[in-house]
Amino acid sequence: MDCEQLELNPRIRAALRRADLRTVQDILCSSQDLHTLGLSRSDVQLLLRAAAQAYRPQCQITALALRGEQSSLRLSTGCVVLNELLRGGLPVGRVTELSGESGAGKTQLALQFCLSVQYPVQHGGLDSGAVFISTEDSFPSRRLQQLIREQPNLRSDVPKSLIDSIEFSNNIYIEHAADLDSLQVCLTRRVPLLLARGKARLLVVDSVAALFRSEFQPSDWLERNKQLIRFSSKLHQLGREYNTPVLCVNQVTETHTHTHTHLPLSSSVSPALGLAWANQVMVRLMMHRLQGTVSQGDQSSALRRLEVVFAPHLARGDRNAAIWREGVRGVQT
Amino acid sequence: MFGVNLASTLKMQRSVSSLNLNLSVRARLISAGIQSTRDLLHVSPKQLSSETGLSQQEALEVLQVVSTGLGGASISALELLQREEEEPKSIVTFCSQLDTALAGGLPVGKTTEVCGTPGTGKTQLCLQLAVDVQVPPCFGGVGGQVVFIDTEGTFLLQRVTDMAAAAVQHCALLVEDDEQRVAMTTFSVETILSNIFLVCCHDYLELLAELHLLPDFLSEHPRVRLLVIDSLAFPFRQHFDELSQRTRLLNGLTQQLIAMATNQNLAVVLTNHMTTRLQGSKSQLVPALGESWGHAPTIRLLLQWAGSRRLAAIFKSSGHMDSTIQYQITSEGFRDADQLEQP
Repeated sequence: MDCEQLELNPRIRAALRRADLRTVQDILCSSQDLHTLGLSRSDVQLLLRAAAQAYRPQCQITALALRGEQSSLRLSTGCVVLNELLRGGLPVGRVTELSGESGAGKTQLALQFCLSVQYPVQHGGLDSGAVFISTEDSFPSRRLQQLIREQPNLRSDVPKSLIDSIEFSNNIYIEHAADLDSLQVCLTRRVPLLLARGKARLLVVDSVAALFRSEFQPSDWLERNKQLIRFSSKLHQLGREYNTPVLCVNQVTETHTHTHTHLPLSSSVSPALGLAWANQVMVRLMMHRLQGTVSQGDQSSALRRLEVVFAPHLARGDRNAAIWREGVRGVQT
Repeated sequence: MFGVNLASTLKMQRSVSSLNLNLSVRARLISAGIQSTRDLLHVSPKQLSSETGLSQQEALEVLQVVSTGLGGASISALELLQREEEEPKSIVTFCSQLDTALAGGLPVGKTTEVCGTPGTGKTQLCLQLAVDVQVPPCFGGVGGQVVFIDTEGTFLLQRVTDMAAAAVQHCALLVEDDEQRVAMTTFSVETILSNIFLVCCHDYLELLAELHLLPDFLSEHPRVRLLVIDSLAFPFRQHFDELSQRTRLLNGLTQQLIAMATNQNLAVVLTNHMTTRLQGSKSQLVPALGESWGHAPTIRLLLQWAGSRRLAAIFKSSGHMDSTIQYQITSEGFRDADQLEQP
């Protein structure tokens, strides 16, 4: 934003011109040096206030005014038991991480969200599609087709006619990103376009670990952290700007002794990418594959557990779950 | 002309060079033989202007700086003590161990930093304090309002509502006299939420701008007793290639926060991330934002896990640990640990 737009005393304007301070951002960043421009204290304050007001026209709202706002929307998991654990589902506009060993069922749950988002709001959806950025394997389209066919079995709460009227596979936009550069292009060009047009209102990245783990040597950790923060700021910005839930699937690593003090984990693994990444996620969920199986009708499944590791609005807790033909479901205990 | 009464503010004499004036003005004053603020007593702007060659406008500003105390108001120790006695000194939390460790609660007029790895409860403590600050005075609270600057998007209404409901319920159980009964009629979840002024800042520039606007907001809302920034680290850990620039901005911000804390009688709470520092082959967890930042807050709280227990270490002076307490986070909020859980 240009300084010329500010309503300022000509004396202040002249001083800014002499110091070559052109934008409001320049002024805000040099607040401590402004008195060296030959401006009096009150002039400096006037200038800073004008710059700040121009940069932030919106004012404070009370927490009470948040009621009924979009930010309290949740994207349903499609299962009552898991929704109860997550107090409704994924928070809209925020970054959620889902980590777990391979075979724990992370991608399964991510696919389920891609379908759930397509329901109307009263059925826990957001009435829109999903963008699925795949960085690891090929996209599991056969499994997706199966999940779509089985939707009526998962969502017995939704009228069959409504389920039949949704064209699930047409509303899932699949992107492949094999390296960080293509991920960057995807996040800065194609994804904002889809979100802005209302074609999608869920962003899934499966997985974040693959790219950051493969492209950097351990000695490059500083550069890696920088890239990680850049990437996560982008995710935050997209989520916020388009009021979209962001789900990042992450791998796990063996827990080293020194990282053990971070959290009392129930298993010997912790989410990959370390503290630099952990500081950037708001909700951390983990999926574990447990010993034992459960059965339902003619199907049987290995027992899983979905765990809330941290979240500002959730208690630490977990629910057992299993993966059926129709999708991931909590197991009532 | 403008009769500026200086006598009352000039009990103590100050040298002109220590006044917060622009350099050329200061030089003019000194070259005209004006050494201390005493020389400016009973001088009209017109006189000052003709003596120093400053314009009348500048001369008036000089006298205003001196009289309104912008040059650094002097206040006697007694006045300071009296002010402290009138005003509530600290915000009582719902965690008695924390209150004890902080000598009565979160101190008003000071800055406190809360650091910890993700999931240790930094945001929980901030949200809890936003509720605690509103406890009515007849229940031992400060009955204040709060400005909550959310930079990470972690302020979720669901959670604040839980904590507010728990606080209301807690106070309702304590009612003994009429005063408290009356206070309870206005201490509800709705009023608690309406006394939280939420500000979302998405990058450091927005945060800086907001802090320039806050003093005005605070003088319009004199009941605000708490300012929370959750977190300070988040906006300052992205978009910085040059760390010296960041350090400079943080220094300025510290000054602003300290000024707000003392002038408006606010408790300021900031949260910070932890980061890994490599020392030789060993890695160590330290608060983020660099070494020099560590001197900014008056109190530092380090939240951490020890096995399955949650511990808070309290540092009052940087580097010297005062005490460690155990806490838990329940559905009601930030609380004392159950006795049973202690080893």
